[in-house]
Amino acid sequence: MIETGIPKMDEYLGGGIPEGKSLLFYTSPEVEESNMGIHVLHHNLEKGKNCVYVVSKSSPKQIEQSFREFGWDIKKYEGRLHIVDGYSRLIGAPSDEEYVILEPHDILSYEDVMDEVMETLSENTVFVFDSLSTIMDLCGEREALQGISRINEAIGRKGGVAVYDFTAWPYKESIIYRIKRVFDGIVEINPIVGETLMGQKYTISKVDWGGKEGKSVMFRIYRPGGVKIYIPKIVVMGPFRSGKTTFIKAISQRFTSVDRLGATVAIEHGTVDHGGYRAEIFGIPGQARFSPLVEKLGLSATGIMLVVDSSKREEMGEVSRMLENIRSKNTPYVIVANKQDLPGAMSDYEIKEVIGAGDATIVKTVATEGRGVMEAFLALAEKILEGGDSNVG
Amino acid sequence: MLVKTGIDRLDELLKGGIPAVTNTLLYAPPFIGKETILKNFVSSGLDEGEPVIFVLTDKSFSEMREEMRGVNSNFLDYENEGKVKYIDVYSKGVELQEEGQNVVFVDSPINRERITASIISTEREFSKKYERHRLVFDSISTLIVYSDAKAVFRFLQVVSGTCKRLGATSIFSMTRGMHEEIEVQTIKHLMDGVIEMREEGSRMQIRVQGCGEVVSRNWIDYVLEKDQIKLTGAFRMSRVA
Repeated sequence: MIETGIPKMDEYLGGGIPEGKSLLFYTSPEVEESNMGIHVLHHNLEKGKNCVYVVSKSSPKQIEQSFREFGWDIKKYEGRLHIVDGYSRLIGAPSDEEYVILEPHDILSYEDVMDEVMETLSENTVFVFDSLSTIMDLCGEREALQGISRINEAIGRKGGVAVYDFTAWPYKESIIYRIKRVFDGIVEINPIVGETLMGQKYTISKVDWGGKEGKSVMFRIYRPGGVKIYIPKIVVMGPFRSGKTTFIKAISQRFTSVDRLGATVAIEHGTVDHGGYRAEIFGIPGQARFSPLVEKLGLSATGIMLVVDSSKREEMGEVSRMLENIRSKNTPYVIVANKQDLPGAMSDYEIKEVIGAGDATIVKTVATEGRGVMEAFLALAEKILEGGDSNVG
Repeated sequence: MLVKTGIDRLDELLKGGIPAVTNTLLYAPPFIGKETILKNFVSSGLDEGEPVIFVLTDKSFSEMREEMRGVNSNFLDYENEGKVKYIDVYSKGVELQEEGQNVVFVDSPINRERITASIISTEREFSKKYERHRLVFDSISTLIVYSDAKAVFRFLQVVSGTCKRLGATSIFSMTRGMHEEIEVQTIKHLMDGVIEMREEGSRMQIRVQGCGEVVSRNWIDYVLEKDQIKLTGAFRMSRVA
């Protein structure tokens, strides 16, 4: 299996892209198409693989710059990153690249060069084409697709993997139909537009080797950083002084305490960047007078962390009521059994028992030392994604 | 709702201006005032509080900025207020070392995906703050030369649709004499109107197709002056009628 390295995608693809298969990123014209391909390319270079980057719509000189914007250094991969330049001849410019498409308007020229590439490179090479739409526009739609099928077969015979960026311009239905047949796997990329641009989502729409078709995940592109799954709103709640602030600080890269209406309302905000996720975390004070706020924020939350002071047996009644409230909203949640280091701390099983948590996920933490906090975050992130496209929109 | 082109008698011909939030093709041979129309359109928009997006394939954003300063003395102030954004599809391709705050660079006219994404994200920004904005695309011809008309047609289908959705009144320029008639007709189909210019012997003429109600659809003589176009040909003013 060749991994894409895009958060969660490999899992939904059943482990990645099997050797010999092709994958198409079928991108709405409203979002930039090259991001996914370059992410896959970088991931495999990091993994020590041989990679071929076929560029047809911009100068190979731009590649280094694109890498730099993502915070990656292209020089590290010398000898393993091979460029096929399908651009320079188009504008009549000279090319310094290893492989050059001499006639970018002719798909046969692509086939010839790919044959040459495959003769010299080892098996299991990762090919990234940026992009199929440019090749189709230049070589003719039908001819290009026929040629690409042959190229995919040739790559397949050498145990390689072919990944294509593609912008779904308003092509004819018959062309779109053909495109969808040519590739073994298709992931659709669409913008998510609310009042502002929220981000993008990918949807696994075809996996002929068996994966989870229909799964959608919301993500954003970060420069630097690359593709990250975006979770718009995790709300942290729990009784007064259960350690919510400490917890948020422990998992956040950035943290601010937002004071509104003087001192009566204080919402804390942190940003988490961990394990391929980027999440916004909001903490609500625990005192009873904030309960309308809890209600309001809780309703729109993507996920909820219920932080409990494990040493305070007397608060479990309150925790139980909060839990009931959360459950009524159908929002994914995890229980954080905090302050495990204090004398008299109840175990996770005991807490579950006392508050009647049933089969809920509970994670033991010591937020002051940062113990268990990331596990709690990842557990919630997983729960949010389990709901298919529940982090979308 | 009409938006002024900033050229007085052209606005009269158009009975007040171009219908707001539409796409117009400006089709003209080189050197007879196409750019003058574009620059006045931008300038009048800024004076009326409408921000502007330049998509430039044939000159750098800083050249355009200099030229705009000559047309509108407040241009730099407008730019500093965040009302001018450039999508520069020229500088990187010819390896100019340009940099700027209000610019997005696209390295190649073949990279239509990136041009589209840049236009859309800039328009989204504008549409949050302003009811309407203007967009000048100069020029479609360069895009066609680098690939083909069909691909550019698909690109414009997406872009022109988005422009309307996000509140842009847009002018797309195309150079007369560079394209096959069929290519021009194809592109015209995507537009709500066409402003055409031509040279007939020693006379320069302009004519409007589409663009809502107009006074006349005939060729009208004009003369080119520094940063202005003066329509000299007669057309009956029918405002009172």
